[in-house]
Amino acid sequence: MSRGFLSKTGTLVAKDLRVELRGRDTLPPMVAFAFTVSLLLAFAAPAPPELREPDALPLGAVGFIDVVAAFFWITILFAGLIGFARTFELERDDGAIDALLLVPVDRSGLFMAKAVANLTFVAVVQAVLLPTFAVLFHFDLGMSWFALIGVVALVDVGFVSIGTLFASVAAQTRSRELVLPILALPVLVPLFIAAFELTSDLLAGDGLQAVASRGWFGIVVAFDAVFAIAAALVFEFVIDA
Amino acid sequence: MTCAIEIDGLQVAFGRTLALRHLDARIHEGIAGLFGPNGSGKSTLLRVLAGLLRPSAGTVRLFGRPLTMKDEELRGRIGYAGHRSGLYGRLTVMENLELFARLHGTRPDRPARMLDELGLSDRRNTPAGELSAGYRRRAAVARALLHDPDLLLLDEPYANLDDEASDAVSGAVIAWRQPGRVAIVATHGAKKVKAYADAGLILKNGELIRQGTYETTGFTV
Repeated sequence: MSRGFLSKTGTLVAKDLRVELRGRDTLPPMVAFAFTVSLLLAFAAPAPPELREPDALPLGAVGFIDVVAAFFWITILFAGLIGFARTFELERDDGAIDALLLVPVDRSGLFMAKAVANLTFVAVVQAVLLPTFAVLFHFDLGMSWFALIGVVALVDVGFVSIGTLFASVAAQTRSRELVLPILALPVLVPLFIAAFELTSDLLAGDGLQAVASRGWFGIVVAFDAVFAIAAALVFEFVIDA
Repeated sequence: MTCAIEIDGLQVAFGRTLALRHLDARIHEGIAGLFGPNGSGKSTLLRVLAGLLRPSAGTVRLFGRPLTMKDEELRGRIGYAGHRSGLYGRLTVMENLELFARLHGTRPDRPARMLDELGLSDRRNTPAGELSAGYRRRAAVARALLHDPDLLLLDEPYANLDDEASDAVSGAVIAWRQPGRVAIVATHGAKKVKAYADAGLILKNGELIRQGTYETTGFTV
């Protein structure tokens, strides 16, 4: 990657973030959705009493931890799709996409810029959601917070790659809000199953080393590697179609 | 004069409608007016030449190279202002121009110069989305000219402009003109383009019905 490529990609990321800071069109709906859903889930599935007394837990609580992990990732999944659907909206508003397609920047740079902007939005949502979940579902990870953040970051790479790619496909259709989840969800299933499993292991008290040795961890790493590269390569054909 | 654009058998279809029908043309360096009534295919032709629309059939060569969006260097030599401004509404006019200047790798003083040339200096800090239609048009032309393109494609650059603003646009295009460069300016009203164009093309129902050098009395085909 040349310095020019990185500098132009950085310029595009800064543009997306600046536009978002001024317009606040994407992040507030994502955060509001995630926060509201987490509140609803907390009321719908109150924590079992034994969860509040860690000494008393083991078996019964593990099932609940699985549910909390699933709640967390499903909330992130749909909050992310809300944001991804807007990925190319600001380019479409007054034809900026035409001007952007003519700049001498490799298409993978355009993809990377959009993906990094989306990653930032998802990370902000997660920064709000993780402490909210910790409070609402009464879990304290101690030192495992770092491991959880690592797993979350790893899952985000694949999630954002797929979301950004399919957002570019959906942007070329009339009913893009419907098309995006239809395209993205089936592809994201294995990534999110792995994310549930790894998160529930961490919530159950396993350390990063134990979690990293699981097959699910390998699935996330492989998913990231394959889909991040494939999405960057395919993006060129989608955007120029 | 060097032949800058070679169009052979160009055809563009939208569903069953043929927007351009088997178009052949050779456009030389200089400024060409593109005329024709509504729906004649002017905007479609400009979008094809900008590489933003893939033709259904035929080929286009720019400066001797086949037109393809994969050609990064060729892309950077094109300046295009379509019906829409191509600007980010939340960014100011200056921020928009600075953004595209960085992406095109042009000199940092170019945005301020283009604002001056097009009479936009007093609107430099106005968000592009809050500009009037006329100012937005001028800002779009400024963006298209920003990187000193070799091929300039302007679609109705005089729409919504008063006489003073029209003169600013004409002045900027004339100042841009250099040997080896080619511009195509699509417009309904031939009068403004007539003042500085070297050649002209007339489209009707997607067909090129006339092409030639432009003189005060019309075309010499």
